[in-house]
Amino acid sequence: MLNQIGAVTLLNLRSIPQRAGLSLATIISIALVTGVLLGFLAMSNGFRATLQGTGSESVAVMLRAGSQAELNSGLSSDQVRLIEEAPGIARDADGTALVSGELFVIADGIKRSSQTEANLPLRGVGEQALRLREGFELVEGRMFETGTNELVVGEAVLREFSGFELGETIRLGPNEWVVVGIFSTGGSVFDSEIWADIAVIQNLYNRGTGVQSIRARLTSPEAIEELRAYEENEPRLNLDIQSETDFFSGQAGGTAVLIEFIGWPLAIVMAIGALAGAWNTMYSSVDTRMREIATLRAIGFSGFAAAVGTMVESLVLAAIGGLVGAGAVYLLFNGISASTLGSGFTQVVFSFAVTGGSVIAGMVMAIIIGFLGGLVPAIRSAYVPLLTVHRSE
Amino acid sequence: MNDLTLIRKNLFRKKLRAILLTLSILIAFLIFGVLGAFHTVWTSGGALAADNRLITVNRINFTVSMPFAYWNRVAAIEGVENVAHASWFGGYFQEQTQQVQTFAVDPATYLAAYPELTMPAEQRQAFLDTRDCLLVGTDLAGQYGWSVGDTIPLLSNIWQKTDGTSSWTFNICAIFDAEDDKVPANYAVFHYDYYNEALAFNSDQVGWLIINTTDPSFNDQVSRAVDELFANSPSETETTTEAAFNEAFANQFGNIALILLFVVGSAFTTILIIVGFTMVTAINERTGEIAVMKTLGFPAPRIFRMVLAESVMLSLVGGLLGLGLANLMISGVADAAAAFLPGLALSAQVFWVGVGLAILLGLLTGIVPAINAQRVKIITALGKQ
Amino acid sequence: MTSLYSLTDLSKGYTRGKESITIFEELTMTIPEGDFMAIMGPSGSGKTTLLNLLGGIDRPTSGSVECQGVRVDKLSEGKLAKWRSQNVGFIFQFYNLMPTLTAAQNVELPLLLTGLSGKQRKERVATALDIVGLADRKGHRPRQLSGGQQQRVAIARAIVADPKVLLCDEPTGDLDRKSADEILETLQLLNKDLGKTIVMVTHDPSAAKYARRELHLDKGRFVEQAQEPAQ
Repeated sequence: MLNQIGAVTLLNLRSIPQRAGLSLATIISIALVTGVLLGFLAMSNGFRATLQGTGSESVAVMLRAGSQAELNSGLSSDQVRLIEEAPGIARDADGTALVSGELFVIADGIKRSSQTEANLPLRGVGEQALRLREGFELVEGRMFETGTNELVVGEAVLREFSGFELGETIRLGPNEWVVVGIFSTGGSVFDSEIWADIAVIQNLYNRGTGVQSIRARLTSPEAIEELRAYEENEPRLNLDIQSETDFFSGQAGGTAVLIEFIGWPLAIVMAIGALAGAWNTMYSSVDTRMREIATLRAIGFSGFAAAVGTMVESLVLAAIGGLVGAGAVYLLFNGISASTLGSGFTQVVFSFAVTGGSVIAGMVMAIIIGFLGGLVPAIRSAYVPLLTVHRSE
Repeated sequence: MNDLTLIRKNLFRKKLRAILLTLSILIAFLIFGVLGAFHTVWTSGGALAADNRLITVNRINFTVSMPFAYWNRVAAIEGVENVAHASWFGGYFQEQTQQVQTFAVDPATYLAAYPELTMPAEQRQAFLDTRDCLLVGTDLAGQYGWSVGDTIPLLSNIWQKTDGTSSWTFNICAIFDAEDDKVPANYAVFHYDYYNEALAFNSDQVGWLIINTTDPSFNDQVSRAVDELFANSPSETETTTEAAFNEAFANQFGNIALILLFVVGSAFTTILIIVGFTMVTAINERTGEIAVMKTLGFPAPRIFRMVLAESVMLSLVGGLLGLGLANLMISGVADAAAAFLPGLALSAQVFWVGVGLAILLGLLTGIVPAINAQRVKIITALGKQ
Repeated sequence: MTSLYSLTDLSKGYTRGKESITIFEELTMTIPEGDFMAIMGPSGSGKTTLLNLLGGIDRPTSGSVECQGVRVDKLSEGKLAKWRSQNVGFIFQFYNLMPTLTAAQNVELPLLLTGLSGKQRKERVATALDIVGLADRKGHRPRQLSGGQQQRVAIARAIVADPKVLLCDEPTGDLDRKSADEILETLQLLNKDLGKTIVMVTHDPSAAKYARRELHLDKGRFVEQAQEPAQ
């Protein structure tokens, strides 16, 4: 039996060049379907990876209760001081609490891709901010000096927005700033931010001594419970406290899920179209090989072997299509930079990420298309009437 | 019998093949129709904008507020017919996940700025007269089952009252709608004074101004005058047409149009290739018949046209079915989607572009087989048999 | 009898690679109106090529094909198509009917090239099917008909536009004796009663007997011209 199947399959595959056009059409259509699916998944994965890659388990983010986003929050310097004395907060060798009160305002940047204004987060930070971001490093230039109109810019901002090159003077609202450094935090959301001295921003934006969020390094991830208990019992504090990891993965949800919600149905609908194409191709394949199949059957090959031969041809074409599609998306889109409005109401720059899991999903879909497309023609080839041998056409 | 009969018979000679091809074309046009409708709504912000409406925002960013006093100062500028102001409220109903787009506005000037919003006269009057009135869009009201006379609390995730809470109680005294389905009716507005007087911080600030000019030709002049008026102040402004503002906002989400183009492009490339190669094969199978037709005296140009007509007919059948199905699907979800995508519908423009694409697809997939058919040599083709 | 066709110094050859092959050379003959001529000869003798030249679906290498004052070999492709539709009816060995069309629709096909109204076409089709004795089979598809019936549909198609000449290429080559005889009798009838000029290529001597005269083609030359056969 295996010999039979092998022989028939080989005959089938050898005859593909005779149907080069239609076979190519199937491969390309399946490649495009896989490509569209992987494109959307790469977008969603990239966005998710950026947000989930941001934040640490042992950093707590504190916002005014009910404010949901840094933009909406508002806290006083007194509250920052209370947190500095809170339990569960890590301290450095000098005994200084690792707590950073930060301001978060939105400024307009010009997107390179569309040349339109888009929301950029301008974060006012003090000295402690760096100690709360693991992996922070200056790629170029230096840190801003306190009390000056100097900025450091995340490398993703530089990539997606114009005018932020090192040494440039840039106007944000009524104020002019000088870019003195480019920083990286290894692909996290912070790379989409602009940082300046908090005192300068408080002054320019009439914020007095207020801040919008407080970040604090915890002695351990579990210490967040101590901090929460402290906040509950302290009437002067009314905060939402989350670990930084939770804070960002909460933000990842909406957009990433939305992208997948669009990507999957689209891919499935397109897959139905490609399925029709594959079916058509395999149908023609059986059609043109009618006599050949009948001859094989006449000399004793089983109908099952003929069916398997047809099915394998269909699966091979689909697998090639899937691989071509995945390869093309990987080469064209993997690592490509894009930005969209995140749930913090500011632009989040992310890179398309073609992941192993999504490639597998794409290949599975391609194989399913090949299987379903080949099914009816395969059954048909098992039942080719033997008398076809004599047909003159 | 006429040429059309022949074309039809040829097209459906192999029924399964014809059905499969029609299905794959249908799918591509379904995608085109649905994404086209989505794109229309997505970009309608620009199209819906009144051509004499300007938006003034803080130059830093539209989320940054500006002093309340700006409202009156702008009203004095020549060429300004009406100035309204609005502020973010960041509202939600009961749960944080139940976000309600809510703005604090000056009622009279706001309604004057947006004449397309319609409501019964007595409700309009009630909104103007009642300090704690919430004017709700009909889609939003439908979403939460609100009706006139309801009293509801809305919480703000931005603002706090002097009493430390973030909850404002409103009386729904009016519900607005609009003639054009595409005009959003998924938000609510209320009296600025009712909110401002209770604010714990940031009082006497407004989010943005909506300016109606006396004529669109004054737009440039007015926006320059406004921005010059506040130049070198702590809150500089940036004034653009409503259309430009909406477009820039839509662009914040990324190049949606390009993504849609990619998807539709892939779908069409797929069918172009599938249908194209299948048509070539189908016509090759008929070489003998074409030779007989030629022998009978059918001129080559007529055969060329018949083959082309066959592929155009196939594309049109698949295309129209696809667009029809898209229309059905869109109508089905239009009501459910009204809160996010108001006025979702297959527009006439998208429909006709679709029909045009179907004809183009037919011509593209038919041209090679048609040329092949026209070139069939009688003797060689008959000899092949 | 006036002559319908006159062929003068007709030569036909083709090149295969570098080799040039001559099918026939400087053939001169006339075909009178009302003739029923059988062309016989071994395969490769040029019978079908001669028929193709007469029908204007092939062109001579040199020489002329004239039909009622029209230089068929000089007509453009478009004019030739028109000329064929008005003057020539073809009958092939394998019938060459359109599988998707009914018998009546197959017969109607050449009438699409005329300006006749739908009603007139219908009448003509009915008459033609009547002549070949298939009036009761007009709604059948070729696949539902026997070989002989299919060939009779093909004859109806050939005569429906009322051409002067019928060109038949082995019309009985694929039929059993009985069906073949029926077809040949029909052709004879068309020749005698309707005055159609018929040129028939065949390798079957008994088929040739139905013709008024036989012509033997061998290596591109007429080797023998038989007398009018006894009826």
